[in-house]
Amino acid sequence: MNKAAITAKNLSHSFGENIVLKNVSFHVPRGDFFIIIGPNGSGKTTLMKIISGILKPQNGQLKILNRSIDQYHRKALARTIAFVPQMNFVDFPFTVTEIVLMGRSPYLGMLGLEEDNDLEIAHQAIAFTDLENLAHRKLDQLSGGEQQRVFIARAICQEPDIILLDEPTASLDLAYQVRIMDLMEQLKTEKGISVVMVSHDVNLAAMYADHLLLLHNGQVLCQGLPDEVITYQTLETAYGCTLLVDESPLGKSPRVTLVPRKYSIRE
Amino acid sequence: MIIFRYITVVFVIAILPLILLEPIAAAKTVTDQLGRRVTVPNEPQRVVSLAPSITEIAFALDQGHRLQGVTTYSDFPPEALKLPKVGSYVHLDLEKIVALKPDLCIAIKDGNPRVIAQRLESLKIPVYVVHPNNLETIMKTVLEIGTLLNAKDQASHLVKNMDLRIQRVKSLVAKATHRPRVFFQIGVSPIVSVGTHTFIHELIVIAGGTNLASGSISYPRFSREKVLAFSPEIIIITSMARKTIFEKVKAEWEKWPNMPAVRNQRIYVEDSNFFDRPTPRLVDGLELLLRLIHPELVEKIQ
Amino acid sequence: MNTKTPHIIKRVVTASSFLILLLGFAIVLGISMGSTDSGIKDIFQNLLGTKEPDSMLYTIIWQIRFPRVLLAALVGAALSLGGLVFQALLRNPLAEPYILGISGGSAIGAIIGILAGLSRFPGVTLTAFTGSIATLLLILAMSSGQTILKKDALLLSGVMVNAFCAAVIMFLVSITQDSRLHNIIFWLMGDLSLGDMKHVGILAATLLPCFFLVFWLSNPMNLLLMGKEMAQTLGVNIKAVTFTLLVATSFMVSATVSYCGLVGFVGLVMPHMLRLVFGPDHRVLVPACIFGGGTYMIFCDLVARTFSKQGEMPVGVITAMIGAPLFIYLLKRSSR
Repeated sequence: MNKAAITAKNLSHSFGENIVLKNVSFHVPRGDFFIIIGPNGSGKTTLMKIISGILKPQNGQLKILNRSIDQYHRKALARTIAFVPQMNFVDFPFTVTEIVLMGRSPYLGMLGLEEDNDLEIAHQAIAFTDLENLAHRKLDQLSGGEQQRVFIARAICQEPDIILLDEPTASLDLAYQVRIMDLMEQLKTEKGISVVMVSHDVNLAAMYADHLLLLHNGQVLCQGLPDEVITYQTLETAYGCTLLVDESPLGKSPRVTLVPRKYSIRE
Repeated sequence: MIIFRYITVVFVIAILPLILLEPIAAAKTVTDQLGRRVTVPNEPQRVVSLAPSITEIAFALDQGHRLQGVTTYSDFPPEALKLPKVGSYVHLDLEKIVALKPDLCIAIKDGNPRVIAQRLESLKIPVYVVHPNNLETIMKTVLEIGTLLNAKDQASHLVKNMDLRIQRVKSLVAKATHRPRVFFQIGVSPIVSVGTHTFIHELIVIAGGTNLASGSISYPRFSREKVLAFSPEIIIITSMARKTIFEKVKAEWEKWPNMPAVRNQRIYVEDSNFFDRPTPRLVDGLELLLRLIHPELVEKIQ
Repeated sequence: MNTKTPHIIKRVVTASSFLILLLGFAIVLGISMGSTDSGIKDIFQNLLGTKEPDSMLYTIIWQIRFPRVLLAALVGAALSLGGLVFQALLRNPLAEPYILGISGGSAIGAIIGILAGLSRFPGVTLTAFTGSIATLLLILAMSSGQTILKKDALLLSGVMVNAFCAAVIMFLVSITQDSRLHNIIFWLMGDLSLGDMKHVGILAATLLPCFFLVFWLSNPMNLLLMGKEMAQTLGVNIKAVTFTLLVATSFMVSATVSYCGLVGFVGLVMPHMLRLVFGPDHRVLVPACIFGGGTYMIFCDLVARTFSKQGEMPVGVITAMIGAPLFIYLLKRSSR
């Protein structure tokens, strides 16, 4: 009995005259590593906002843990879904611990008075993300990858069923890219959290995802297992450029290679 | 003997009322110029004046010794400069006033913040407010201050003198054949003159001139063009600045030799203290204006 | 060890206690000094009642200085808190309490009241307050086309309205020639000299609920700094919180300005200074601004009263003269 984490049916949304999403339907199984890919402007960010509850879709249904998202009270939703933003510009000198503790807000009253229990959860989250040495540093003293881990630790504190990440590896060093993805994998296997991510890196997505969703012009072009979604036909349609698709040397997933003009073998 | 006893009884009966009534009569209730009923002491010894004009009047009545404190710009007569200062008349220092332990404060309606009067009264300090806005009310103010400071005789004497001089000017002016056009300039940059509801306007009229800036705005501003269009016969400039400024201002007007005032060399600078304070010196100002506007009348009596 | 006491409470209590002590000291200092010289010894004897009560000194201390010191404390608290809230709401460290047109609107209201010959209390106070609220409504209407949540819309509207009001103020000042000009200038520079205990009471009754409301929303303010959308995913009702903070703070600052004119630099500098000492958590900063801001204002007012032998200076001059260099110093500190 695998309950669905997220079920979306015919989601549509426009900004003025601009149709950003059209009849988007998909299904995220519980405990899945679900990655949404597609070019810029395909509606990935809007879809993220809708799933996280920030934006209300003009049409369509969205169910979280088999309950319509409309039925969730704000704080209840915050206890179910945690959002990790891409970059954060915080002008104020909060420490890592303070920011991670903010993840406990959905469980606390108005003044957010954290108790020992909450501090313990925060410490565990900090340990999980390898931030122990940095726990008392100010956020702006950390590198991009370290900051990303802080936001992930905060999300973990929300004790969510689902974690949403918006292009978490964009503008990160290679080492950090793998590290973050491995962390997500760890969350999935060790804590049973469903991971839903928007990614621009197709290869990375291919190596980690259980299921993929390919968006193109606001519509679902393809969804399913990585081998099903990543073919040169689908990708060329979506991304509009010449690509080569074969199997990764690691043998577990498809591999996408960009084709520079000089190597192009097509007429 | 019986006659001694009789004398004693009469004496006691005569003295008794004086003994009994004296402490009760140490204060009296009067009505000030705003219609407020104020209880003031009969013999005020610690008076604080809340405006320079009030300080002047107090000294003019020879009652300067009663003053314990004055405002910052109370500069006339020179003896006033020695008195402790309680702030400027638009921004009074409550603490300084109270520290002087006044038994009476005299305030002026235009300028003193109403709030200060209220606060002083809530601290049990009587505040008498005057409102002199023309020659008549100035004389009334002198009389009332005279009553307050136990100088009724000096006050009526002073007022009689003022009135006499004013009447003399009026009778002289009655013989005048022409009312010259006067532009009275109180502001140099921008050019500001005086409207109908000012002391100066009243003085100009009594002194036999026509105030070119008369109107409902008390301190109207003019462009140089506008003044030229008036074609003033006399320009009087008052300023608190030094002589050098006057030369500059005069030179500005002399650029327009077609103006009667320039042609006939009738541009004068005068000390503003004779014109902008509601005090007996305003009569000095009046006589000064007469000399400037109708020199021919003054020479006659000389 | 008591496992039930949240750690944040300890921090709040420690910071607040320290600042309350400082405030108490400032109050004592404030009522001990003034424009008249009295020996400190005399004053303490008077305060402790060990000497024969000198009614003049007693009057000066309790009926003139004490209400003024309390008024300064309230004004400093409200302005500092106002700056703190707007910096959080607009996510801009340069925000200050007058930024949403409050300075322009209240000044025009006050000037109209002064020109109409109204008495300072309640006339000018009411016209200033009305002007301030009217401007706020204007700005809300102007930026409601874009959502209230778009911080730049609000900020820009506020700046524009303030600039326009400044022009109107200059015009009004230029056409005033008589003694009312002095009253206007003093109002524009901030003037704490006219209030008595009754006014202190009214202002306190108006401000204290606002203080409590803002404190109650101090954790949501922390979350708002993470970004409006981020705060929403953490469970904050951003529309309600933003609106409540905006209204409560504008009301608080408007009421304060109506009583004492435009005292500048307090709302800009105090939050930064306190943040440097106590950190950015608003649950600590809100009480810190209330007590610390009050202390600072009492101190500035004291300097304004006693510094010059010529007489009292407008307190706005002192807050600017201390505040501006202090702000530059803080800027240098934080950029390191």
